[in-house]
Amino acid sequence: MSELYTLVQAVEKVIQDRRSIRQYTEEPVSEEELQMILEAARQAPSGENAQPWRFIIVKDPETRKRMGAIAGGGSGRRFTAEFVTQKMQERFASLEDEAKRKAAFEKLTSGQVSAFLAEAPVSIVVCGRKDVWDLPYDTSAAIENMLLMVTALGLGACWVIAPCIDIRDEERLKDLLGVPEGLKIVSIVAVGHPARYPRPRPRIPLHELVYREKWGVPYYEKKEE
Amino acid sequence: MSERQVSLDYVNSIVHDLQKAFWDERGKGARFRVTTVGRDYFLSKCLPRIQRKEVEPIIEVIKQVLREEGLVAEVSHQLEEKLLRVQVRGCLHVPVEQRLVAKGVEPFTCIPANLIVLAIEEVLDRPVELAEIRVEDGACNLLLVVFDSRPTFE
Repeated sequence: MSELYTLVQAVEKVIQDRRSIRQYTEEPVSEEELQMILEAARQAPSGENAQPWRFIIVKDPETRKRMGAIAGGGSGRRFTAEFVTQKMQERFASLEDEAKRKAAFEKLTSGQVSAFLAEAPVSIVVCGRKDVWDLPYDTSAAIENMLLMVTALGLGACWVIAPCIDIRDEERLKDLLGVPEGLKIVSIVAVGHPARYPRPRPRIPLHELVYREKWGVPYYEKKEE
Repeated sequence: MSERQVSLDYVNSIVHDLQKAFWDERGKGARFRVTTVGRDYFLSKCLPRIQRKEVEPIIEVIKQVLREEGLVAEVSHQLEEKLLRVQVRGCLHVPVEQRLVAKGVEPFTCIPANLIVLAIEEVLDRPVELAEIRVEDGACNLLLVVFDSRPTFE
């Protein structure tokens, strides 16, 4: 049974319900759903209406496997570096459960946290034209639009930067997908039907984020717990 | 090669400003966009001299090039399993790192480190990650992680 929402409620619900989904069922994403997701991207704000975004839809299992390896390899390298410099241990200092902490370290340093990309039924590779001033901002807005549409459709997605944050990995990915020099691969959006719906991640409260007129004076008072 | 010469102060000032501008734009992520800086230099000066496909001889070639080209005064290393510790003294570019540190910016790129990374990756196809650059008493202490192989996740 469908529920009725006001427009504000619907927008709020879609924003609140969005999760980073990394596990998917075998069920395919339909062409109608995919087109709605891409249409949402196309409607994103764009400086000077330059619309620098371009998209590559990847479904081929072999290509997905190779993208997963690039993503996992990159994540594994970076998180291992964080581990050997103790930065990761500092980040997880508040996690008291030793087994959970160990599992988190293993998931991150092994690269498994990003290698899931290989399992996503559809990957939308987001590219941006370098000859546009607002490339990172425009493409990020397009990605967020896609994530919200994915959520509204009852699908799941994850915004993955791991296979292209390091220029070495981006070069491999560009080579794999034949992306020309004038474009940058910004991110990949992995899409599928969620196999599992994770709990929301903790968010920094507004009173720690928002200042009044100038930096430093909280706009909101801290609410008593 | 051009006979024209410029002062090292000028070069380091410009390199610093470029790095600072990049840091200001990209923050902590800047380090991942400069991992191939020095590639042309590596291909022309280092790669042709690498004869043996093993980590230690590869590092020795890079150390020789760095010293012979006058880029550093001294460079030493220790490889313990995956961890490669490199100490560089008298690097031409150390004022860049020192100026960044003085502004509260953790140094995020290093040509000697990049040459080692590029060499091991190019010759052995083994991934390498620069984990840390610490500047102490005018020397740069580099920590790199040398992985056994490129993961396939199969």
